Amino acid sequence: MRKEVKQAIGGLIMVSPSFVLLLVIVVIPIVQSFVTSLSNGEGGYDLSRYQFLFTDKGMRSNILFTLKVTVVSCALVLLVSYSLALYMRFSSGKLVDWIRKTYMIPLFIPGVIATYGLMNLLGNHGWLARLLLPLGMTLPRLIFDEKGIVIANIWFNIPFATMLLSSALTGIPASIIESARDTGAGKLRIFLRFIFPLSYKTFLVALTFVFMGVIGSFTAPFLLGPNAPQMLGVSMQQVFGVFQEREQAAAMAFFTFLLCSVLGYFYIRSMAGEEAANR
Amino acid sequence: MGWYFKAIGRRRIIEFILLTIFAVFFAGPLLNLVVLAFSGQWTYPDLLPHQWSFKWWRFVFEQDDVAKSIGLSFLIATIVTALSIVLCIPAAYAFARIRFPFKRVFLFSFLLTHAFPKMGLYVSIAVLFYKVGLMNTMLGVVLVHMINVLMFMTWIPTAAFRNIQAAQEESARDVGATPLRVFRSITLPMAMPGIMVASVFTFLNSLDEAQGTFLVGIPDIKTMPIIMYSIISDFPSSAGAVFSIILTAPTIILLVAAQRLISADVMASGFQVK
Repeated sequence: MRKEVKQAIGGLIMVSPSFVLLLVIVVIPIVQSFVTSLSNGEGGYDLSRYQFLFTDKGMRSNILFTLKVTVVSCALVLLVSYSLALYMRFSSGKLVDWIRKTYMIPLFIPGVIATYGLMNLLGNHGWLARLLLPLGMTLPRLIFDEKGIVIANIWFNIPFATMLLSSALTGIPASIIESARDTGAGKLRIFLRFIFPLSYKTFLVALTFVFMGVIGSFTAPFLLGPNAPQMLGVSMQQVFGVFQEREQAAAMAFFTFLLCSVLGYFYIRSMAGEEAANR
Repeated sequence: MGWYFKAIGRRRIIEFILLTIFAVFFAGPLLNLVVLAFSGQWTYPDLLPHQWSFKWWRFVFEQDDVAKSIGLSFLIATIVTALSIVLCIPAAYAFARIRFPFKRVFLFSFLLTHAFPKMGLYVSIAVLFYKVGLMNTMLGVVLVHMINVLMFMTWIPTAAFRNIQAAQEESARDVGATPLRVFRSITLPMAMPGIMVASVFTFLNSLDEAQGTFLVGIPDIKTMPIIMYSIISDFPSSAGAVFSIILTAPTIILLVAAQRLISADVMASGFQVK
């Protein structure tokens, strides 16, 4: 009994420093930004800062723009990542080995650098435009446009989503698939009955990360997005840094939390469920 | 040629084309920067520069804040890595090996760092830092960098500690080793690959962090990515390309060094429970 109590105290002491840090840099800021966002600047508390988000024309178009870019990016990223992860799991050969070795590299490239590279490659007089010129093709406007943001999002998020998904697919035992194949199940059937059900949780985790990554992004839309409408990340930074309206910025931050709350809640819950199943 | 393609099969060809597009899409922007960095003159619509030179390298190194920003970035990344090791490794060991109350609540509380969109979180922190006077300070920037690394710095080592068979530690204890000795010579070395991956990832993450630093560190804490923001808008693209290579070099060196340790499985354990 004594030993257990000692262990429990020891465990709590070991965990508490990082937990306190978590409180300071995540929990407290979120709580106080919510309180700040409710103050109306005249000493009282109401929802006027949130009302502004929906009544101001520019802000409303920013929100719609952000949602559109996010949904399009998520769909494209997950489609490509899932296909790539499946391909890497069920193919073999030199080519696949080579992809396995290299696909994670973009994960480690600084965001500013990749964005800058994309700007130079896809810009008006960029490399791609030069390469296509002899073929008689011209590029549509990509940089300083929503297409540019979507392309950058794809660049940033595919490696990460593929990493999560391929780690989930490797976890599916080959014996399950082989025995299904032995009973004469076709490829599509195997996918729908075994592979997807066994990996859909990770699929949703990947969706959560991509969704939040895009809504909370700043570098790419800041550097290669259009001036108006803006992504919420850029708009938030401007409201905070340029216009110095901290209460309004806090309200916008909290609004992005609300947009992601369903997925965030799902993510934490599914992780907790997974942990319980492992014990 | 026709018979050749038939022999490989249509499927292989489509595969090859798709993968080529893929490789070009991901490598193109980076390759473009390398070419730009060494170009002297490159006018539209030439495919390649007609003059190669190092002049932009000299130009970039002559800028005062460039050298300063490199030093500052490495200093901050080192502080962040050291601090997160000191804070997170004990917690990771406790999560893997010790029974204590509310263990799961603590473990999952770290998910909170990744359950909110980043820019929203940074703005919230900036609102708080403004009130307590942490804007434009080193401490403020270090704290912002910690957000991104807190979770995988705890979770990857937790997974590493868990993967060690308890039997190995027990047998060491059976032959009379003290708990500290067991930890030093059995547990820690076996968990080292996981801890290394997490540390490398932390270091790189801090080195590359731009958005939070931009919000909280303005105007005095200028790390490399912040300098990059201004180089992009103020200087010719070749100067930006040179600086991009300088900023990416540490990443590539560390990645090559840690290549054997990094796998999708280890990395994924930092973001989800398996």
